[in-house]
Amino acid sequence: MALWSGTRRRDGLALRQAIPDRLLPFLVGAMAFLAALALAGGIGAHALSIRWTRGAGAVITVQVPQPDDPAAPAGTTPMGTPPASAIPGSPPGTSPATATRIQQAMSILSAMAGPAAVHRLSDGELRALLAPWIEQGSDLVLPMPAVIEVHAHDARPLPDDVTKALETQVPGIVMEHDSIWSDRLAALANSLQTCALLAICIVVAVSAIVIMAATRAGVQARRRAIELIHSLGATDGYIAGRFAWRVAALALAGGACGSVLAMPVLVMLSLLAAPFSGADMPDMHALLSPSAWSGMPPSQILNALPSSLLAMLVVLPVATAMLGWLTTQVTVRAWLRRLP
Amino acid sequence: MFRLHDVSYLYPGRDAHKGAALSHVSVAVAQGEFRWLLGPSGAGKSSLLRILALDAQASSGMVEVLGVPVMQARRGVIARLRQRIGVVYQDFRLLDDLSVFDNVALPLRLQMRPESEIRHEVNAIMKWVGLGSRIDALPPQLSGGEQQRVAIARAVIHRPALLLADEPTNALDDRQATRLMNMFHRLAELGTTIIVATHNDALVRKYPAHAIDLMQGHLVQEG
Repeated sequence: MALWSGTRRRDGLALRQAIPDRLLPFLVGAMAFLAALALAGGIGAHALSIRWTRGAGAVITVQVPQPDDPAAPAGTTPMGTPPASAIPGSPPGTSPATATRIQQAMSILSAMAGPAAVHRLSDGELRALLAPWIEQGSDLVLPMPAVIEVHAHDARPLPDDVTKALETQVPGIVMEHDSIWSDRLAALANSLQTCALLAICIVVAVSAIVIMAATRAGVQARRRAIELIHSLGATDGYIAGRFAWRVAALALAGGACGSVLAMPVLVMLSLLAAPFSGADMPDMHALLSPSAWSGMPPSQILNALPSSLLAMLVVLPVATAMLGWLTTQVTVRAWLRRLP
Repeated sequence: MFRLHDVSYLYPGRDAHKGAALSHVSVAVAQGEFRWLLGPSGAGKSSLLRILALDAQASSGMVEVLGVPVMQARRGVIARLRQRIGVVYQDFRLLDDLSVFDNVALPLRLQMRPESEIRHEVNAIMKWVGLGSRIDALPPQLSGGEQQRVAIARAVIHRPALLLADEPTNALDDRQATRLMNMFHRLAELGTTIIVATHNDALVRKYPAHAIDLMQGHLVQEG
């Protein structure tokens, strides 16, 4: 192998002179850095899209005013909706005649979505929900409605028959579905993903152009040597391959540097975006102090990044090397076509 | 070993009215033959050599080199065919940033020969051309005659089946020219087809052989 590589070094192409090992890795590294940010943006937007669609969009909020009043008579139950006593999860002893409005609403919703998906907010949860509008520690003197959250599997609204049953048996009930917001958020996330994809396409195109320009300059610099070894019997594949492997090695190095340099930035951005993923907002002062990072093991720092993004960062240098190899092959072979 | 039939060659970008470099040339040379290529400047000698070296493609006609019809051949086939041809260029075409050793070793390296074999072959041929002590020198450090000998060594080191030489004795003294001509005849005896273009009438008289005589792109005499 050493003999083979040593042999190749002295075939007159002098690739170290033709394609210097400073400018190209730097440019490719910068492109890889931008690509890493764009990839992170795309992956983040995708994660948000899923979260928003499965989170906010799949929650139906039901307000039941006067929850402890008796529900409407059982005879008003619409066809297809079982009476409360027949529904699993109904409180023991509950019958259509004695059920309160909240019990009746819980029964109907449990029958539709399953008992595990229906949750009545406790007083504490209700108080926390209203915290921005009421004084902390004060008693709720106003009559408050009971609030039920229904977690659905998808963002569809309640079926018509369930809605009708609720409206007839628990008059005055208010149902809010967050799908309008979630649809808008999902559309926003999709457009962010499209922007990220576009940014990646632009980075790839600019990288290819940079590599093409560097290769052309290298070919021009060694034009005489290329023409000579071509006339001595070097195939197009040999000459293009020599340039392509050189560029691929430089692009691999540049891509690796770009990926590594992008990691701290991505970790920082990931921590700043933590509230969007349900985590607590980090303390910025602590984050920006070197002592916060110095004692932390690398694995813990990397845990801040999604595994899919980490995989992308590992693949990125290989992808840049492949892009460099392919672009150089095409460029050199196109140039060699001028020779007989 | 090569056959041309009704071959014409126009310089790229020049129209036919201003004259072809070669016009309807037909010639065939068998394996192991030595031929002079004669004619005044502008007769078409260099064009004929370029076509035979596969450095230029004939504008029309049929060209067969080492049994391969080159007009229809693919680029990969042409490249491998070039590896069986040796060319001594009039301007030597040495790479200034490679040592003499590496310049001469180029044809063998392109054939992926083992480095030990390359070292042995290059040392032997460099001793033969009288430059055994200059293998580490760079071409600009050599005289014109020495550069020509390096170019000759590079052309023959891979034992080509077809050897084309354009004024190979221009920069050589009589003793070196005699040695070179003896080597050419020895190679021809071993089966190499050799075409030598020259203006040197004395050399042609000293080593009489069949000739391809060109005049203004036309073949005026063969044999």
